Amino acid sequence: MKNAVSFTGVTKRYGAVQAVAGLSLDIPTGQTIALLGPNGAGKSTTIGMLLGLLPPDEGRVEVLGGTPEQAVRSGRIGAMPQEGRPIPRVSVRELVGFVRGTYPRPLPLAEILETARIADLADRRVDALSGGQSQRLRFAIALAGDPELMVLDEPTAALDVESRRELWASVRAYAARDRTVLFCTHYLDEADAFADRIVVIGDGRVLADGTPEEIKSRVAGRTVSVDVPGSLAFLQGLPGVVVSEVHGGRARLTTTDSDATVIALARAGAIRNLEVAGAGLEEAFLALTADPERVA
Amino acid sequence: MLGYLKLEVLRILRDGGYLMMNLVSPLTMYLVFTNIDLGGQGHRDAAIYSMVGMAAWGAVGAVLTNGVAIAEDKALGWIRQLRLLPLHPMQVVTARTLCAMIVAVPPIAGVCLAGGLVNGVSLSAGQWTAIGLLLWVGVAPIAALGLGIGYLFSPTKAQAVGMIGYMGLSLLGGLWVPVAKLPRWAADVAPITPINRYGELSWRIAYGHAPLPAGVGVLTAWFAAFAVLAVAAYRWSSRRA
Repeated sequence: MKNAVSFTGVTKRYGAVQAVAGLSLDIPTGQTIALLGPNGAGKSTTIGMLLGLLPPDEGRVEVLGGTPEQAVRSGRIGAMPQEGRPIPRVSVRELVGFVRGTYPRPLPLAEILETARIADLADRRVDALSGGQSQRLRFAIALAGDPELMVLDEPTAALDVESRRELWASVRAYAARDRTVLFCTHYLDEADAFADRIVVIGDGRVLADGTPEEIKSRVAGRTVSVDVPGSLAFLQGLPGVVVSEVHGGRARLTTTDSDATVIALARAGAIRNLEVAGAGLEEAFLALTADPERVA
Repeated sequence: MLGYLKLEVLRILRDGGYLMMNLVSPLTMYLVFTNIDLGGQGHRDAAIYSMVGMAAWGAVGAVLTNGVAIAEDKALGWIRQLRLLPLHPMQVVTARTLCAMIVAVPPIAGVCLAGGLVNGVSLSAGQWTAIGLLLWVGVAPIAALGLGIGYLFSPTKAQAVGMIGYMGLSLLGGLWVPVAKLPRWAADVAPITPINRYGELSWRIAYGHAPLPAGVGVLTAWFAAFAVLAVAAYRWSSRRA
């Protein structure tokens, strides 16, 4: 299958900070892919280079068979950048109408508004929209040109559950037409629910890459939970543990070797109300980003 | 490009207060200035001089504040969003320059009308037309400068830089008092500054001369430089990790 996006050995540095460190990534046409990573992992820089806003220091970024700039200029990309707020004194219809007009083969206005679920707001001034509505408008802008590739940078940040659900329904409707969608998110459940593939990024590199199921199984991650009535000293230096949290007198340990962890807990006499469970995506994510060497 | 021009013009036309402000301040200044006797020149010459000066001052103020307002759009992420649409930076900057120049129409028209109707400035129809057009077209370099400032700086900085540029260049331009009355060094520098040459175009017409080729040359060179600055600043403004 042809690649919609291809990063080859891409690096980007800001002064002393290496934001992206030798990133290589191919995204086949038609895939919905989530970029997942903690703040400062290099996601936004990666997106900036993908959209031609930032030039890479080294390596090559190819989008739809050309440079990012060519792809943007020819109207083959729709983007929803992070943190956009509505500009004053235009209506939804005027704004989306303008955006449509810049693309060579836009979708009909009614279809855009319908897909983004803002048809009832067409005559509303954009600066009078609620947070969720304005986010849907921003999605409509990304959608308007019927692009081959859609890039969404944290599309549901700061939205309530209902607004998130509605936005994802819209994205899904678009992706169903065999379009390529790349999105960044902090919400692991979104990556799990909406992506065909998840790429975990940390320190500017790909830490893991696979289907949500693969990512979860990639780290043989387990959680071990025990009650901790008194001192927490025994939690120090347990084998296999990458993340430990204590809430309400109970420790929840994310481990890559649950056997070793449990044996060590037993030696410390700390087995109280023991529970061992398979890790969810969140644990896998924490394990991956806490100890990149393990899966590299 | 037309679509973008239309959208931005619509946004300006809906900002009635802003349009009024751009008309009222040069108009008031003009009427107050011309009705106190500053002495020196003949009354007719002085009336023409200050009419052109205040119209130009109003036009420059309008395009600069309009350009500086881009910094606020930038803070909203609008410039970045534009960059991600299939629009060439040259198209965006051209449309945005025209848009800023539209804001310059009320002060030019207002001050010239007041000159003719209230202060009895009498010029031929050809002179009125030429002055009106040159005041409008000639403000293009300053409009491009305003865009550059708006794209480059944060809202508060853009405002400060715009204001300093506005006052400094207007003074050197001789918009308030003739350059000859400024200190020697300032009078020497003035002819290479854009606003001085901008005003000169219309003053010369008003006094019955043709524009100086050197003046047109200097103004064109500033336009080219500020247009390049505006395009570069537009492209650069969206570079953010």
